[in-house]
Amino acid sequence: MSNSELISTAEPRLAPPPSFWNSPGFRRFRRHKLAVFGATAIVVMTLACIIGPMLLPYNDTFIDIRQRFAPPFSGPHVLGTDPLGRDILARLLMAGRISLAVGFSAMVISMAIGICVGMVAGFYEGVIGATLMRFVDAMLCFPSIFLLLAISALISPSVPSIVMLIAMTSWMEVARVVEAQMRSLRTRDFAVAAVSMGSSNARIMFRELLPNAVAPIVVAATLNVAHAILAESYISFLGYGIQPPTPSWGNMLEGAQSYLTSAPWLAILPGAAITLAVTSFNFVGDGLRDALDPRLDLP
Amino acid sequence: MSTFLVQRLMQALVLLLIVSMIGFAILHLAPGGPLSQFAASGEMTQADLDRIAEQLGLNRPLPVQYLEWLWRMLRGDWGLSYRDQQPVLHIIASHIGATLELMLTSTLLAMLLGAWIGILGAIKRYSLFDSLATIGAMIALSIPTFWFGLVVIYVFSVGLGWLPSGNRYTIGDGSFLNQIHHLIGPCIVLALVSTAVWSRYMRSSMLEVVNQDYIRTARAKGLPERSVLLRHAFRNALLPMITITGLHVPTLLSGALVTETVFTWPGMGRLFLDSISYRDYPVVMGILMFTAVLVLLGSLIADLLYGIADPRIARNG
Amino acid sequence: MTKHSNETGRSAFPMPALHRREVLALGAGGLLAASGFSARAQTKAAPPPPAKPTGQVVVGLSQEPTAFNPLMPGIEVDETVWMQVFNTMWLADPQGNLMPDLAVEIPSEANGGISDGGLAWKVKLRPGVTWHDGTPFTAEDVKYTLELINAPGFKSRTRVGHALVKDIKVTGPLEIAWRMEKAYAPYLALLSNTYIVPKHLLEKAADPNTAPFNGAPVGTGPFKWGTRQPGDNITLVANEKYHGKGPYLEKAVLKYVPDQTALYAQFRTGQVDLIIGTGIPANFYEEAKKLPGRKVVMIPNASLEILMPNLENPVLAEKAVRQALYASINKQAIIDIIYYGTHKPTESFAPQESWAYNPNLPKQQYDLAKANKILDEAGWKRSGSGVRMKNGVPLEFAVSTTTGAALREQCQQLMMQDWQQVGVKMTINNMPAAVIWGDFYTRSKFQSLLVGTAFRTVIDPDPASRFASDAIPAKNGSGANQMQWQNAEVDKLLKAGQETFDQAKRKEIYWKLQEVAREELPILPIFQYAPIEGYKEGLIGFEPNINARQNTWNMGVWYWAR
Repeated sequence: MSNSELISTAEPRLAPPPSFWNSPGFRRFRRHKLAVFGATAIVVMTLACIIGPMLLPYNDTFIDIRQRFAPPFSGPHVLGTDPLGRDILARLLMAGRISLAVGFSAMVISMAIGICVGMVAGFYEGVIGATLMRFVDAMLCFPSIFLLLAISALISPSVPSIVMLIAMTSWMEVARVVEAQMRSLRTRDFAVAAVSMGSSNARIMFRELLPNAVAPIVVAATLNVAHAILAESYISFLGYGIQPPTPSWGNMLEGAQSYLTSAPWLAILPGAAITLAVTSFNFVGDGLRDALDPRLDLP
Repeated sequence: MSTFLVQRLMQALVLLLIVSMIGFAILHLAPGGPLSQFAASGEMTQADLDRIAEQLGLNRPLPVQYLEWLWRMLRGDWGLSYRDQQPVLHIIASHIGATLELMLTSTLLAMLLGAWIGILGAIKRYSLFDSLATIGAMIALSIPTFWFGLVVIYVFSVGLGWLPSGNRYTIGDGSFLNQIHHLIGPCIVLALVSTAVWSRYMRSSMLEVVNQDYIRTARAKGLPERSVLLRHAFRNALLPMITITGLHVPTLLSGALVTETVFTWPGMGRLFLDSISYRDYPVVMGILMFTAVLVLLGSLIADLLYGIADPRIARNG
Repeated sequence: MTKHSNETGRSAFPMPALHRREVLALGAGGLLAASGFSARAQTKAAPPPPAKPTGQVVVGLSQEPTAFNPLMPGIEVDETVWMQVFNTMWLADPQGNLMPDLAVEIPSEANGGISDGGLAWKVKLRPGVTWHDGTPFTAEDVKYTLELINAPGFKSRTRVGHALVKDIKVTGPLEIAWRMEKAYAPYLALLSNTYIVPKHLLEKAADPNTAPFNGAPVGTGPFKWGTRQPGDNITLVANEKYHGKGPYLEKAVLKYVPDQTALYAQFRTGQVDLIIGTGIPANFYEEAKKLPGRKVVMIPNASLEILMPNLENPVLAEKAVRQALYASINKQAIIDIIYYGTHKPTESFAPQESWAYNPNLPKQQYDLAKANKILDEAGWKRSGSGVRMKNGVPLEFAVSTTTGAALREQCQQLMMQDWQQVGVKMTINNMPAAVIWGDFYTRSKFQSLLVGTAFRTVIDPDPASRFASDAIPAKNGSGANQMQWQNAEVDKLLKAGQETFDQAKRKEIYWKLQEVAREELPILPIFQYAPIEGYKEGLIGFEPNINARQNTWNMGVWYWAR
């Protein structure tokens, strides 16, 4: 990031820029090579997971026990087969649908919770705000994995419940970011003006304040997707996550440890897929941060 | 200063109270219970199970159970484990050593490596090294820790045979070297993420310091660049880093838990997973409270140090 | 330690179970032939034991022993400690014979130890036994133990059988007698798993539930409690004043490695000397057999892998459905491929080594055509989606098991594919162990479960607590009949089996019972467990015992070849 990027857009924009494609933000994003790489990888992966399974000759759940443990690049199964003789490529792609969907949905829900809590807490400071933020602090006292595992060991696992679980344990950072934004924005001229014009609180929050806090929210959302994919993979790895026969990148790794000597590809491939996806989202998040809010330069 | 401390401590107590309520509710409202493990053995009849539930007081209303737990807790009694009938604090104490060993060594490693990468990156900004370090840090933050653990085991234990695949030491050989040998694998895995975080913070902290007046003055005085960087810039860039470590206690604990499961490390992570799967409520609650205290302590120390490092920060909570 | 068999006490023991959640049931002889393993042949060539305890053995366990008071709730793996530190009045050898330990002989109707139609019991105890702290062992300790089990506030593991005991009298320093409320043949078996605890230590504690004893037990066994590193290991040390043979080892370390694969890796590298209990993962069997300096053996135990239907489920309640499902389980593929040829197919709820086992049950055949025919005849018609329907009810149900059990998950998916072909829609509904084994299991809220479990009373073939219609917890019964099987004929057979002390007559009863169960299929048996255990070749004395809960049952006589 150059010095010129360190200034600019420090003030909230009251009017939207003329066009997205030639906005300074988008240009900065484009210059961020890693972010472009990340965005491309995400698009390619998403398309592959949506279209890929239709083009493959194998079904992700079809068991062909005679074909078990076929190594990659050695036969009709390009990436080999798993302990039940299912095609790993087909499973990776189907798993990608699930894992990406879990990541996105968990992000949407956690953002919704985080934004609402943060907005209310930041707007109504005082008792409501303090109470809400103490609750947020308390939730942050649990190391996130402890919370995830404690709950996942207790609920019955299904895709929706895993999504909820991840969302419930990852909204707090967002709430903090939004709360801080709200607190600083509500003393700005335009907000004070809106209050004096008699706008309703909800209107001020959603129409005046929120749009001006969009930059950090978008960044947080991107990083949240990455976090959610990681979280899903870990709880599934431990066996508490998405249950078979539905594949997910995490549950493909379950049990892979015992095949580490005889069939290492079972562990390597899904892990590589997770790493690629998470890295891509992190790259994009980083690029967005540079583009939208150049004052921040921390990971 | 002391008002600040008192205020922070009061806040911490309120937080701990909320934490305990959330934790207690999550645990007890979930289906299943501590008797499940016995039910699985068809040996104990329903009459036995019902009797033990009664004896453990599991049939009473939840608020009563919570208040009783809280009351005992306030008197310093953390309760007895359902599994091995030992005092909870005793159990935590016997596992914390392994976890601290892992956390401290990996933090030390991460600090050294991270500081080096960060400083070098800041000095040679936009160099090939800096770019690679940036990309490397991003990837390190993205790799699932447990999977990285598997890869380390696959490469260094299964493949090369250099490292043991798990455990803290070989039974019958508790020598220092043997322990170090076992520590390497999990330490590398746990240090990966911290190194990434440290190098990124170190880099920006250095960049900020390098542009300060006193560094320019030092340079203007004609001090050698090396001395300017190490004597002046590094020292000042380091202080905020210590606070970062305090704030990263939760991340470190999470990472330690994950690493312990992969390397069968007999620490708190292992204890937590086992206690959760056996529904050993007193131990799980104990661990949650214990980690919450650690986390709060970490952030308190971070705040205090931050105040010392930069007296301009107002301490108003 | 052989002979001492006697007429009545031919019972067997609960086995080492495979998974913490599954207990076992009966057992019996015949193991050596079954596994091709001969401890005797090995012993013949073996050098003599050392003159004084020497060396140590590291036993690898994939679960952690945590309960050390043998009367309190615990799981199978806890028995590895109890067996070394404590003794029972008698225990079963690999052939299924009861051998006296703290008692001088096994009470029977023949020797007068059991009289009055099974209502009066009398036991003579062994002289010269001392507790690890030097205090002599007496009949008072036995009396205290039996009373403690029934003491109101004490968290005893189970009172099955013990609740019938009354009027306990110490009739001499080493003689004890009591009466039973009713004749109950399995009590002999129950006592073979009832460890005797020291009165002089527990009596002193304000509350035996929290006595210091529970964290540092004192017994009469071949090994004394040493140290414990929670989450890692327990070290036991030789009791040089032991009343029996041995101990020959100076130290025994019970090492807890939470992951079976990691445990096997440590066995391969030699960090642990043997693996028992859950054993070596099946996928390493071939590799393990070739390890130099290691012996690896398949050792049957009494636990069965079964599909447990909930007989109150509208679909699974129908016998024809269960028969069709059973006919379309590909047992061969499950055993040969998913479990790498370990474990043995079975048709009975009794282990094949038991004296009560009925070998003449019809063999299950994997036959999709037959399954289709059964369902067609029972009126289940295929609908457009391929799923059969009857009276508007689709032939659909869920199979549950504990999450994280990779091989069971593979099994489920294989069954799903087979059943789909006969028009049955199976779904998978797995949950964490603590949820599965909670009300979901005990109150029969499942549709069907894929589990490993056993059907007997501790060491006796009596399965009354699993099959009797008054043992259904969901219907206020007090047993463990979670499939909710109700069958008048079965109830009659179970009652007769409990009241008969003559083994030949009991055998007849249990054979009939197995025939009924095979026909009615209250459980769909898949295989009997025979996990792979392994040990270093230099270890002398290791002898698998299907009638002991863990194969550390005779650790006192183990030693290393020099």
